Amino acid sequence: MKIRDLEALNSVRQQGLTKYKPARPRIAVGLGTCGIGNGAEDVYQAFTSAVHTLGADVQIDRVGCFGFCAEEPLVNIAIPGKPLVILNRVKPQEAERILTEVLAGTVDQARALCKIQSWDHLTGVVDFGEGFPDIPEWNAIDFYKGQKKIVLRNCGLIDPEDIEEYIAVGGYKALLRTLRNAEPERVIEELKTARLRGRGGAGFLVATKWESMRNAPEGQKYIICNADEGDPGAYMNRNEIESDPHNLIEGMIIGAYVMGASEGIVYVRAEYPLAVHRLEKAIAQAQAYGLLGEDILGSGFSFHLSLVEGAGAFVCGEETAMIASLEGRAGRPRPRPPYPSEQGLWGDPTDINNVETWYNVPVIVNNGGRWFAQTGTERSPGTKVFSLVGKIKNTGLVEVPLGTPLKTFVYDIGGGTGNGKAVKALQTGGPSGGCVPVDMFGTPVDYEALAQLGSIMGSGGMVVMDEDNCMVDVARYFVEFTHSESCGKCAPCRVGLDHCLRILNSVSEGRATEADRDALEQLGPMIRDNSLCGLGQSAPNPVLTTLRYFRHEFEDHIQEGNCAAGVCEELFLTPCENSCPLHMNIPRFIQLYKEDRLEDAFESVIMDNPLPASTGRVCQHPCDDRCRRAGIDDAVNMREIHRFIADSVYGTEMEESVLKRLLERKMPPSGKKVAVVGAGPTGLASSFYLALLGHEVTVYDENSEPGGMLRFALPEYRLPKAVVATEVDFIRRLGVEFVCNIRIGVDKTPQSLSKEFDSVFLALGTWEASPIDLPGVQCTGVYHALHFLDEVAHGKDLRVGQRVVVIGGGNAAVDSARTVARLGADVTVVYRRQRDDMPAIPEEVDEAAEEGVKFMFLAAPHRVISDGQGRVTAIEVQRTTLGEFGVTGRRRPVPTDEILRITCDSVILAIGERVDTVFTGGSSLDLNRDGTVKVDRYSAETNLHGVYAGGDLVTGASNVSNAMSHGKHVAEMIDERLMGENRFAALFGSYTYSDELPDEPVAGGRNSTPLLPPEERRKSFEEVMLGFSPDQVSHEAHRCLRCDVKDECRVGAAAE
Amino acid sequence: MPNQVKLKIDGEYVEAKAGESVLDAARAAGKFIPSLCHVKGLTPVGACRLCMVEVAGIPRPMPACTTTVQDGMVISTVSEKLTRYRQMIMQLLLSERNHVCAVCVSNGSCELQDMASKLGVTHSEFPYRYPRLPVDASHPRFVLDHNRCILCTRCVRVCAEVEGANTWNIMSRGVTSMLAADLNGNWGDSETCTMCGKCVEACPTGALAVKGKAVEEMTKNTDAVSRLATARGGTQQ
Repeated sequence: MKIRDLEALNSVRQQGLTKYKPARPRIAVGLGTCGIGNGAEDVYQAFTSAVHTLGADVQIDRVGCFGFCAEEPLVNIAIPGKPLVILNRVKPQEAERILTEVLAGTVDQARALCKIQSWDHLTGVVDFGEGFPDIPEWNAIDFYKGQKKIVLRNCGLIDPEDIEEYIAVGGYKALLRTLRNAEPERVIEELKTARLRGRGGAGFLVATKWESMRNAPEGQKYIICNADEGDPGAYMNRNEIESDPHNLIEGMIIGAYVMGASEGIVYVRAEYPLAVHRLEKAIAQAQAYGLLGEDILGSGFSFHLSLVEGAGAFVCGEETAMIASLEGRAGRPRPRPPYPSEQGLWGDPTDINNVETWYNVPVIVNNGGRWFAQTGTERSPGTKVFSLVGKIKNTGLVEVPLGTPLKTFVYDIGGGTGNGKAVKALQTGGPSGGCVPVDMFGTPVDYEALAQLGSIMGSGGMVVMDEDNCMVDVARYFVEFTHSESCGKCAPCRVGLDHCLRILNSVSEGRATEADRDALEQLGPMIRDNSLCGLGQSAPNPVLTTLRYFRHEFEDHIQEGNCAAGVCEELFLTPCENSCPLHMNIPRFIQLYKEDRLEDAFESVIMDNPLPASTGRVCQHPCDDRCRRAGIDDAVNMREIHRFIADSVYGTEMEESVLKRLLERKMPPSGKKVAVVGAGPTGLASSFYLALLGHEVTVYDENSEPGGMLRFALPEYRLPKAVVATEVDFIRRLGVEFVCNIRIGVDKTPQSLSKEFDSVFLALGTWEASPIDLPGVQCTGVYHALHFLDEVAHGKDLRVGQRVVVIGGGNAAVDSARTVARLGADVTVVYRRQRDDMPAIPEEVDEAAEEGVKFMFLAAPHRVISDGQGRVTAIEVQRTTLGEFGVTGRRRPVPTDEILRITCDSVILAIGERVDTVFTGGSSLDLNRDGTVKVDRYSAETNLHGVYAGGDLVTGASNVSNAMSHGKHVAEMIDERLMGENRFAALFGSYTYSDELPDEPVAGGRNSTPLLPPEERRKSFEEVMLGFSPDQVSHEAHRCLRCDVKDECRVGAAAE
Repeated sequence: MPNQVKLKIDGEYVEAKAGESVLDAARAAGKFIPSLCHVKGLTPVGACRLCMVEVAGIPRPMPACTTTVQDGMVISTVSEKLTRYRQMIMQLLLSERNHVCAVCVSNGSCELQDMASKLGVTHSEFPYRYPRLPVDASHPRFVLDHNRCILCTRCVRVCAEVEGANTWNIMSRGVTSMLAADLNGNWGDSETCTMCGKCVEACPTGALAVKGKAVEEMTKNTDAVSRLATARGGTQQ
């Protein structure tokens, strides 16, 4: 049946509406490629057979995709008179139950993702009905909030294989109007008003392109739709064609009419079989209805549309290469000018637009350019579809107004990484784009703003990267891609990218030098400026942006051979070893333990980590986050294993035997004297190694006993003083002298020490409380957390009273609160964000709650109230709400007007610590503004010759294992300087142990150490974590997958 | 004259024919612009990227061979940046395959060698790739040494545009691109090759040579190819 006029179109429309909004229930399964990949085809079959079994009068349909990939398969339920309900993650076995409910006129409201009461297809509104109050409206859920569906207006709602449903929602109306009015110039005027820009990435004004085509001499002209979507991680065009193919056809017919073209070609990737299938079907239907072919809609205008499948070359997305490919030649670009609008396919004027550009045409014709320009920004109006993928919770297709800031994509819509890891960067524009770092997530997405950052908008791929992504590897990956997709015509791209790839491979394998990095920086702009086509011109973007924004990662790889993200396999032993600040050889001590070689295991542990029993209790265990066992069940509890090993050895004959071994290994006296200031974890770690290296080490500390934070800040119930004492004693017996009660800056200065000693290592902690602007802070009964913990550790009897409020959310806050609980008081922790945002170790927070510590979230201190004698009587806190996301993905606490008063006797402030700068003793030591010491990033030397600094003094308040890693590193640096050669590696012994692995990993989940019961905990300062039993440690050791045992098979960069 | 345009090259006013390339106009005005893929009369392809010049108002350098003169155009053929870029591209070409002059038939009369020396490039700072590529000696008169090829496609164009035989083309892509006779058979088995030898004369290096020539013995007559191509009308753009 050929449609020839409005009446006929309207009658098809009515016909279509009976299918789109039938009088009986309709169940439509989202069957895009993504849905099918998630089992939607099985769901569809299940519904079909359920209808058959139940003999139900229900229409089962296939629709495209509604965009929320993470929640596939999606199923639309439309019960007449009720809202359209979208169910997510539907399983085939649920079909019968859902169908039964639908027959009863309802759906399981708790199970639904969202509902649509009324949908504006922009070419027509469809009202489904009202009801289901418990289901949120579609744009009320995070993923769709902030989205605006213009291009995707029909996707996931209509049956893409039925032209009548497209017509039902107002399709082909714009075409009819254009042909009827016979005013092609008006379409161009509307496009001009709309300021629609090409959606393929370059952002050229569509009206300008169309106008020059229209003005080209009459004769054969072609229009082409570029559907050769090839960016890794981008699939907008595929989904658009799969879900709404007629929209593309309508846009192209209008374009053909305006430009005077009689032939059109859709160039689709052959890798998109479903899109090809649906488009072919749509073209056939359009022909049957008189919308394509001769005399379209009775207007006399003829247009033929065909489909060509691309053979898979990325470069064929470049328009001149695409034309070459269409002409049957190899897909290689040629220089422009002449532009395709002058000389295109077969030498005739040709217009090429991206899929999404065509999709915007019917709706602009229908609703006007002015309407379109209301969305988006002044220079980039309209919306853009992005595929949001990578390390993100809510993956999917996202259509938002241009100008939306990047953080909205990542946090509001995407929901962050969803695994607690921090987002590091966002890659836009695929291999032609760049990596935007987190601190620039405030940037609005439009053509110009992204170009300024060195990236491009491209066709719309957005890949989120977190701390587990190595930026060197990311750059390497994209260059590997463009390198293999380069056509080879021009020398800069062909040979230049080959050199880039070789250099990046060498960086990721730790073989590169700084000269190599400089060569990369030279090659990048040269390739960009001199390549023939867009592929080469943009191929260096991933390298140049990572070099610009993540330079330190390149430095780490080149100078330290370190890949912090744990990606570049050549640079580390295992992911756990790589994530450990001390780089402990974890699989080794686990294997030695398994082989019953406790002494060897202990020696291995203590040589890597001089305080194994202390860190075994209090380390933040970053190893857990990288353990590959987590892919099976849970991470191996490595921290508890080395604690067990240490606890089993200390105080036994084995301790003496290992001490003897180390003393035998100790290098002969060097005659060099080293002063270490601060006997905390940093100083202890450095003195351990410096002593073994044969130097005469003196450690100064202002306290009465060595141990620093371990001894005086960490409460007894977490880390018993006796454990610290044992470990300090072990180090003392290696030949380290501890001099206590000496305050640097007062009793001695860095200068006086550097006269007395060959090297000085400043390893002080951050004991000074950060300043706070809080009225009443000077009242009696207000404590700073570290001072409070310090006084308790010194055994002072602090009269904190009956009710105590702790302000803060870090470890110091939780330690203070749990200590107060043990002193018998009622304690409340007040934190301005939410529980999940607390920087404290989560287990510690759980344990605190078990011990009766109360938490008040979303509240910030307002003022401290005191009585006539200046004693604290209460604290006023101000309620906060969580506002907008900051660029790092945490919502900003915003104060409200609500003030609460909490009656209390004491207030403990745990809001951060800083360096007390007294230690400089008036020396010319270079400090940062926050009081931390400036050091060379790799040698750790300060501006004073022979004076080094490390630990919290350099980084600001951190944690035990980070601090110790500084101490270990500085010991190596000092020795290298004093002795003129690097002797560090010679300290470490080697062990022979089995590399045999069982065929199947040992079963069983992670063991946790038993805890003291909460009721007993409150009564005393007894240690809470009791440590593994021998059975537990043995099972835990066997859970290790031994990632250090590697096959010869090499992949990725190393495969070359 | 309507067919004449005026432009400024390196500060000098130059008249040129409308439709002419910047390269031709500049060379006619006595300017030196390096190039390797260009042969006057053959379709310019802009492949070697040595002829890049700066055009006022355009942020990136433009290839002189494929850029058409326009009235009022302001061009610089020399700048610190252009020199650096050209030297780098020359080094890329030298590092790509095996350009060991001492054992090459074209030593002493090689355009690649000449151009390197004009650009002051004596060696490549990028590591030499030294791929092991075959030598096709199947042809009765000529020999193709892929190791010397710089993929300028002069042979491809002269064969297609002047001889009309279409024997040559480039196969594969990226850094693995290779010159191929017919459907990648032996040159000697080619059914299309007329043995005219124009490709050999057009080749700027020792990649295509007359069989039997020893080191330094191969000289090319590219000018003759150019005259032939121009005489048959050449390609306008």
